[in-house]
Amino acid sequence: MSEVAHNSILRLAPGCRLSEHGAPEDLLLIPEGALRMQGPARKIVELCNGERSVQEIIGELQHRYGSEDAARIETETLALLTRLRERGVLEFV
Amino acid sequence: MKYQPQALIAEVTHRCPLHCVYCSNPLEMQRRSEELPTADWMSIFQQAGEMGVLQLHLTGGEPLARADLNQLVKAGRSAGLYINIITSGVGLDGPRLDGLIEAGLDHIQLSFQDIEEGPANEFSGTRSHALKLKMAAMIRERRVGFTLNMVVHRSNLSRLEEMIQFAEQSGAQRVEIAHVQYYGWALKNRDALLPTRAQVDRSIEIVEAARCRLKGRLRIDFVLPDYYAKYPKPCMNGWGHQLMLIDPAGRVLPCHAAGVIPGLEFSNTREHPLRWIWDESPAFNRFRDESWMKDPCRTCDRRTRDFGGCRCQALLLTGDATATDPVCTLAPSHSVVERILAQVNGQKPEWVYRIDPV
Repeated sequence: MSEVAHNSILRLAPGCRLSEHGAPEDLLLIPEGALRMQGPARKIVELCNGERSVQEIIGELQHRYGSEDAARIETETLALLTRLRERGVLEFV
Repeated sequence: MKYQPQALIAEVTHRCPLHCVYCSNPLEMQRRSEELPTADWMSIFQQAGEMGVLQLHLTGGEPLARADLNQLVKAGRSAGLYINIITSGVGLDGPRLDGLIEAGLDHIQLSFQDIEEGPANEFSGTRSHALKLKMAAMIRERRVGFTLNMVVHRSNLSRLEEMIQFAEQSGAQRVEIAHVQYYGWALKNRDALLPTRAQVDRSIEIVEAARCRLKGRLRIDFVLPDYYAKYPKPCMNGWGHQLMLIDPAGRVLPCHAAGVIPGLEFSNTREHPLRWIWDESPAFNRFRDESWMKDPCRTCDRRTRDFGGCRCQALLLTGDATATDPVCTLAPSHSVVERILAQVNGQKPEWVYRIDPV
């Protein structure tokens, strides 16, 4: 199995989707149940649209949330994407 | 304590083209004339969505036997639910599948009875295996969540590795390997279905090895036969804690099998709002907390983890739904299970087939 890298391009796997905007809670609905999307997690998953690279996603987040936290944003984004990839929630394009 | 329902299992019909020797539907099945109409199901899904239910599992019988399945899927999605259908694939074709996906279907769970055609058709009581292979190929070509379900027992466990290899190449994201649970029709065929302890141990080794090999590519969910367990399963994660099941006629139950428990009256969606049934109805509250427990459960450290096991199994094996689940090695009635297991042998089974409701 290949690892999530800066040049990886990811999208939600079949059978996985984010709850509708306006739902009582931000959830990632998956075949076995649901994952709670806390903090910027929903935004990160939304950015995985099958076109952007992980590097571009990190760039957008750094731009959005301020660059003084750049290193932390990079580490945490990679960690989340790796976890979701290992769970089979995200797939490589 | 407030319990939040997570999932609704909608048995939209008991009609089914298959006659599986381990069918989990109750012995007394609902007839077609008793089935809830489309509008009732639509209202139920709406109520479930408002109650915070996340997932809708459309099952049966065979849900494809309902001509209005497309409408049901659409109604579930409008209610904000994640939609899964649990199907044999019989009754599906390309256009119907496209229609279901268009209507908002998120996920399909396709069942297989074996990897070899002869035994598969024997266990399902129908010539369905070849068709299922076609359906799997058809699902793979589309963008929809896909889980294979393989039910295992004494007569097909020798092919478990081949089943996993098949799953690997099927395009499914998940495979569920489920040892038969002994409820419904499966209880009638229990002596023919029960695996030996050696088979169970081997199946655990095979699944563990496959999980390592397939990590990140194919998820494997594994259901063990609890007769061989040391402690009982946390059945339904607790009675009325997360899950509700509605039968074709609108009766709401905490699980597939609860109808066997005498003295419980299950409320109907034709007569009560779903919210009331979940929160207030006596049947949903009967085993919800710990007040029903006797020794050894009452003081056991594990009671918050396994909730005393399965009430239906306690009833089926001891005649008392308030007994500790007899699969528990601490249960006073555990010898019942030991006696059943002592009789497990390798003889060729003789199946009792069930017939479809009219």
